[in-house]
Amino acid sequence: MSKRRSYFISLIMILFLGSSSAIAQQKKDLPFPVTQFTLRNGLQVILSEDYSLPLVSVVIAYNVGSINEKPEKTGLAYLMENLMFQGSKNIGQMQHINFIHRIGGELNATTTEDKTMFYQTVPSNQLALVLWLESDRMKSLEIFTSKVERAKVALIEEIRHRKTSDHYLESSLYFDRLLFPDFAYNHPVIGDEADLREITIGDVKNFYSTYYAPNNAVLCISGNIDKRKTIQLIRRYFEKIPQGKKTPSLALPEVLETKSTNITIENSLASYPAFRLGYRICSPYAEDYYALSILEYVLLRGQTSRLYRRLIKKDRIALDLNGGIEKKFDLAAFKIFVINNNEILRERSQKAIFSEINKIKSNLISEKELIKSKNMFKMDYIKQFATSLDKAIFLTEGFLTRKSLDDIPEDLDRFLSITRYDVTRIINKYLGEEKILINIKIK
Amino acid sequence: MNINLRVFCSLKLSIFIFLSFLLTWGTPLVSQERFRRSPPYPEPLPELNLPDIESTTLSNGLSLSVVRRENLQAISLRLIILAGESSSPKSLPSLATITANMLSKGALNLSSSEIEEAIESIGGNFSSSIYPDYSIFSFSFLEDYLDDALEILSRMILQPTFSKQEIRNVERSMFYDLVMKSTDPEFLARRLFFQILFKDHPYKNMAYNEDIIKKIDQKNILSFFNKFYIPNNAKLVLTGNLNLQTASRKVSKYLQSWKKKDLEYRFIPPPDPLKELKICFIDLPKAKDVTIYMGNIIFPITDVDLFPFVVLNQVLGGTPNSRLFMNLRESKGYAYHAFSELEFFKSCGIFTVKARVRPEVSYASIIEILKEIEKITKEKIPSYEIEQAKSYLIGNFPLKIETIDKLSSKISEIQAFNLGEKHWNKYLENIKFINSDIVSKIEKKYPLSPVVIIIGNKNIIDFLGGFEKLEVYNSKGIHQYNISRGENK
Repeated sequence: MSKRRSYFISLIMILFLGSSSAIAQQKKDLPFPVTQFTLRNGLQVILSEDYSLPLVSVVIAYNVGSINEKPEKTGLAYLMENLMFQGSKNIGQMQHINFIHRIGGELNATTTEDKTMFYQTVPSNQLALVLWLESDRMKSLEIFTSKVERAKVALIEEIRHRKTSDHYLESSLYFDRLLFPDFAYNHPVIGDEADLREITIGDVKNFYSTYYAPNNAVLCISGNIDKRKTIQLIRRYFEKIPQGKKTPSLALPEVLETKSTNITIENSLASYPAFRLGYRICSPYAEDYYALSILEYVLLRGQTSRLYRRLIKKDRIALDLNGGIEKKFDLAAFKIFVINNNEILRERSQKAIFSEINKIKSNLISEKELIKSKNMFKMDYIKQFATSLDKAIFLTEGFLTRKSLDDIPEDLDRFLSITRYDVTRIINKYLGEEKILINIKIK
Repeated sequence: MNINLRVFCSLKLSIFIFLSFLLTWGTPLVSQERFRRSPPYPEPLPELNLPDIESTTLSNGLSLSVVRRENLQAISLRLIILAGESSSPKSLPSLATITANMLSKGALNLSSSEIEEAIESIGGNFSSSIYPDYSIFSFSFLEDYLDDALEILSRMILQPTFSKQEIRNVERSMFYDLVMKSTDPEFLARRLFFQILFKDHPYKNMAYNEDIIKKIDQKNILSFFNKFYIPNNAKLVLTGNLNLQTASRKVSKYLQSWKKKDLEYRFIPPPDPLKELKICFIDLPKAKDVTIYMGNIIFPITDVDLFPFVVLNQVLGGTPNSRLFMNLRESKGYAYHAFSELEFFKSCGIFTVKARVRPEVSYASIIEILKEIEKITKEKIPSYEIEQAKSYLIGNFPLKIETIDKLSSKISEIQAFNLGEKHWNKYLENIKFINSDIVSKIEKKYPLSPVVIIIGNKNIIDFLGGFEKLEVYNSKGIHQYNISRGENK
């Protein structure tokens, strides 16, 4: 009898040890605990405990976005996100949402250029429910023609709504095409109406089976969890989902050079003249990016930033000013968008912007201004882990972009070690003559 | 016998091996399918441990509360002045709002832009919100800068300048803000709702429009400020990694010279709910859909009916799983959304239903909403619906206090209304205690339907012919004309 029992135990041991490739050591230097491991089917798992409230957030990110779309198939990634709520083998249409709402939870999903994320926060005793829901749609999403067609109609409606509600959308799409000449980066995530119409059920099925596989996903659970039980639950729901084929490597980056442009276009819905100014900057993963991020705060963030003070407060020549750094996977741009009362003020606003840029190019900013910009940056940075969901998204994105969480702890310090000299050097290097300027005329 | 036993044993053994094989190596085929078929049972819910609210009163009468939360790296400060729009004179609504907006616009030897600079230098953000009974200033900043933040706050409170130039700037920006909002149907509806519901009551001050703003001058602001911005009419709430002792030492250092003054206690009587159905229409030329905003006055937040009513409201219209949404959107396809809400002030509360519907079914939608309200007030709610509503409220509560800002807001509300622990660490217990019988006892006391505001393009008035009388208003809330049934306009 005892022999039998030991045989049984050793079987369990083998199963337990063999099923994941080494659970990593807990990292001590992040502001919160993190455990990371990989299931046998390739699913990357990140866990982070936080016992302050009885809540748990679950994020699943698939390593796929609009950059994986082929020409004439734009909108497919976003369509796929929508279809993930239309029911899987054991869960009816829209039931995912109902299950989460009924227990007081919240959920959402988002598609970007490089990832598609599904997330929910629920009372922590309901973790298994979320894993049941998420694993079912990863394992066995039900894709029928009727569902695909309905989702297409809804998306086309959304595209039309966006076109009529965002009065400067036309110019924004045009601007992106000039700033990011590569197709993969410059087409809108929401897709094109004509492309969407042509998407077939075959395209959808193929996209799902290629990209929505455990080996192309990251699962992050953050909140009030018992680590041992959580690992058991993850195994139960995810480990037997078969590994997918290796995802096709992207036909990129075919990083095309941006050509300096200064043109005037007509934006049919715009009621005020406006302009867009853009500079291509380094990759978000390059060393210069730290200084560029601080420069963003010096120029554009808050009511005391250089451009806000000059255009809105002092000269009062702009009705609205916004912008900043925009990341698109491994590309990035520095964008400024200004709305003016008339074309004379538009001219003056452009001159004012160039004059402010030139000031920083030739004079060091003050130590006080640098500290202010860094403190504002730090406040926004720490907001990225304000809630269990924020934390889960922060870890998931960090992992997806860096393929590791190792250098995250030092990340903030790198931004905060930027000097006044770095700011001057960086603005001279990136905000120069090579730029895209679009003047928007009203009809 | 022996043989049999051996057979039985070996059978048991092979079953055991087979079962353990299934449970381990063989799991996928059988058990996996079974556990995927239905949702798993939840575990017991871990206890919600709410941080304590520690409070004290400083020598000048300023009440101070501290809520300790570690690992945030930021502090959230809330200054509550116990005077809101209901304290503005009847002839000068918006005075409380303009005064609050002026607080950060200049102090002795410190210009408005120097204040902005000082705030942003500590990673800070400063804003004000004005309610009927109180005004709240929210100030969040990096935790190393508590002294700097208190210094800035004390300069604003102790030495405000209220310069005429800055008053003009604030009034201009409020004016344009209201002009911009004059195309927002929900904003217009709420304003007319307050105007009609609170007729002669001080809460009607919330319904001011852009025409009044420029009538307010420096003298009005100074008099409002001097009367109400005093420490014995204020409460300070600090949330972050700090304790009451340190906080009160520091707050005293910067705010001890804020002088206590006599302030006459002003009792605001509860307004009477409207008793008859009143249908109002606002013409919004560019509106494509119809917005419905309806409701009435209910009890104040301190009433014994609060918790059962919170559950009732949840059943009726709290989420997309509630009756209104399920009926008007999912079943009838009339509405884009339909929800109900409770909001509380010191002397009363309001119950509202908000829906956005297709124009051709606007009359039918209002009738459906009225039916749902009547049903929920007359028929006993089945237990499963009560339990489902409670499960939502209990599960969702921690999400309402998850961020430092949400937590501070919740605690500020508790402090401003002097609510005590019943509304803080006893909230969930109070909800758990509710059942179908308790809810049925409150139901008949509250007429829920009287004021109905409909906003849409004038051309849709034909769809509203079923109502006896329609009062038509413009977007500033000024009454234009009435339409009776059968009349053409």
